[in-house]
Amino acid sequence: MLKLVNLTVKYGNFEALHRVNLEVDHGEIVVLLGANGAGKSTTFQTISGLNKPVSGHIMLNGQSIAGKSPDKIVKMGIVQCAEDRKLFQQMTVQENLMLGGYVHRGKKSRLRATLQEVFELFPILYEKRSNPAGSLSGGQQQMLAIGRALMAKPEFMLLDEPSIGLAPLIVEQMFKSIQQINQEGTTILLAEQNANAALSIADKGYVYESGKVVVQGSAEELLANEEVRKAYVGA
Amino acid sequence: MDIFIQQLFNGLTIGSVYSLVALGLTLVYGILHIPNFAHGALYMLGGYVTLTMMVYLGVNYWISILISIITIGILSVLMDRLVFHPLRKSTPIQHKVAAIGMLLFLEALAQLIWGADYRQMPTPYGQVIQFADVTLTVQRLIIVVAAIAVMILLYLFLKKTFMGASILAMAQNREGASLVGINTNKVAVITFFIAGTLAAIGASLTSPINLVFPGMGHLVILKAFVIIIIGGMGSIPGAILGGYILGFSESIGATYISSDYKDIIAFVLLIVILSIKPQGIFAKGGV
Repeated sequence: MLKLVNLTVKYGNFEALHRVNLEVDHGEIVVLLGANGAGKSTTFQTISGLNKPVSGHIMLNGQSIAGKSPDKIVKMGIVQCAEDRKLFQQMTVQENLMLGGYVHRGKKSRLRATLQEVFELFPILYEKRSNPAGSLSGGQQQMLAIGRALMAKPEFMLLDEPSIGLAPLIVEQMFKSIQQINQEGTTILLAEQNANAALSIADKGYVYESGKVVVQGSAEELLANEEVRKAYVGA
Repeated sequence: MDIFIQQLFNGLTIGSVYSLVALGLTLVYGILHIPNFAHGALYMLGGYVTLTMMVYLGVNYWISILISIITIGILSVLMDRLVFHPLRKSTPIQHKVAAIGMLLFLEALAQLIWGADYRQMPTPYGQVIQFADVTLTVQRLIIVVAAIAVMILLYLFLKKTFMGASILAMAQNREGASLVGINTNKVAVITFFIAGTLAAIGASLTSPINLVFPGMGHLVILKAFVIIIIGGMGSIPGAILGGYILGFSESIGATYISSDYKDIIAFVLLIVILSIKPQGIFAKGGV
C-alpha cells in the first residue's frame, strides 16, 4: 500500500503541494484529476524521489520512502512513466526497453521474458524494435514509455497523463492497455485531465486544485459529483 | 605519392590520439553538459606520470602507462566529486569557470613538481620499419594499434553492457535515467574515470614522439573541442571520426601547404564545417 500523509512540497517559496493525503491499495487504479499546475506531477515527482518534500511522509507498505534517491525508489517497486516520457531518444526501442529493466539487470532470462510480455501488450513496439525512440509517433512513444516502466516489473506504476496529445482512438487503446496492466497485477496511480476516460477504469480518485486535494471519492461518486462533472468531465 | 602515403600514416597516428582525448571530452560532456576545459590538464598529467615512472623509477613502459591510467582516472573522479558535483545545481557558467580554474591549478602544480622544461620520454620502441617507401617507427604503429583497440573496447563496453548503456542513457536523458533506476552519481563517477583513463592513454602513447611539458595539453584540448563541435557535442562516432578528420587534414596540410600553419588547420576546418552544418556532423546520431 502506498500512502501520502500530509505531504507538503515547495519550489522556493511557492507551495506546490499543501498537506496532501492519499492512499492507494494493492490492485487498484487510482486517478488524480486536476488542471495543469494543480500539483499532480509534483506528487509523482516527489513519490519518485526527484523532489524532496518539506514535510509529511510517503509510506510504502508501512516503510517511509520520502527523501530516498530515485534509483532506490525504483528498486523498491515504484516506477514512474513521466508526462514528457523521458525516453532515450537516440537509442532503439529495444535498448530503451532493456534499460527499463535496469534494476533486474542480473537476471537476463527474466528480462527477456518480460520483454516478450511487453511486445505482446504493444505489438507495434516489436515491429519498431530497431528504430530509434525519437523516430516514433507520439502514441508509440507513450507505449514505449509505459513498456519501459513495465520492464522494471513494478508493484506500483505512476502514469502521468499518458493520453496527452494523442488522437482519441489511440487514447481509447491506451486506457485499455492500462486496464490490462492493472489486471495483470500492477497497482496504478494515474494522473489525467481526461476525467471521463480515467474514471471509467478507476476505482477511486482525488481532485487537485492549486496544490490541495479538494474532493476525493470512489469513481462513481466523482462521476456523480456535480462540481467535478462541471469542471473536468465537461457535461 | 610516397609522401602522400607517409602523411596518411602520420595523420592516422595523430588522429588516433586526438580521437582518444576527444572521446573522453565528449563522454564527460554527456554528464556535465559543458566542455570540461580541465580535460587538457588530465592529458598533461597523464604524460608526466608515465614519464616519472619510466625515467625516475625505471618502471617498464607498459606498467608506467597502467599506473598513469589509474592515477589520472582517480584524479578525474576526484575532480568531479570535489568540484563539479557540489556545483551541480548552479549555472553552466560556474562549471566553466571551475573547469578553467582547475586547468590553471593543475598546470601550476605540474610546473612546481616537474619544472617548466620540455622533456623527452624515452621509448623502448624506437626501431624504424621500412615498408615499401614508407618509413614508420614501431612507436607510431603502437599508437595506432593501441588507440584503435581501446576504441573498440570502449564501443563494446558502451553498447553491450548495462553499465555502458547507463552512461549513454544519462547523457540522453538524465531524469529518464533516474526513473529507470540508474544511480546517476555512480554513472558520473564511472564516466569521469573512463574519460581520465582515455586522456592518460592518449598522452602516454604520444609522449615518446612529442615532448612532455606543462602546457602540452593546451593545443590538444583546443583541438579536442574543435573535434567534438565538428562531430556533434556528445556524439561518440563524431568524436572518433572528427579526430581522424583533423589528424589527416593536419598532416596533409603540413606537407602540402606549410607546416608552420599546421595548428591553424583545425580552426579553419571548424569554421568551414560549422558554416555548412551548424549542428556538427553527427549532431543527432548518438551511438
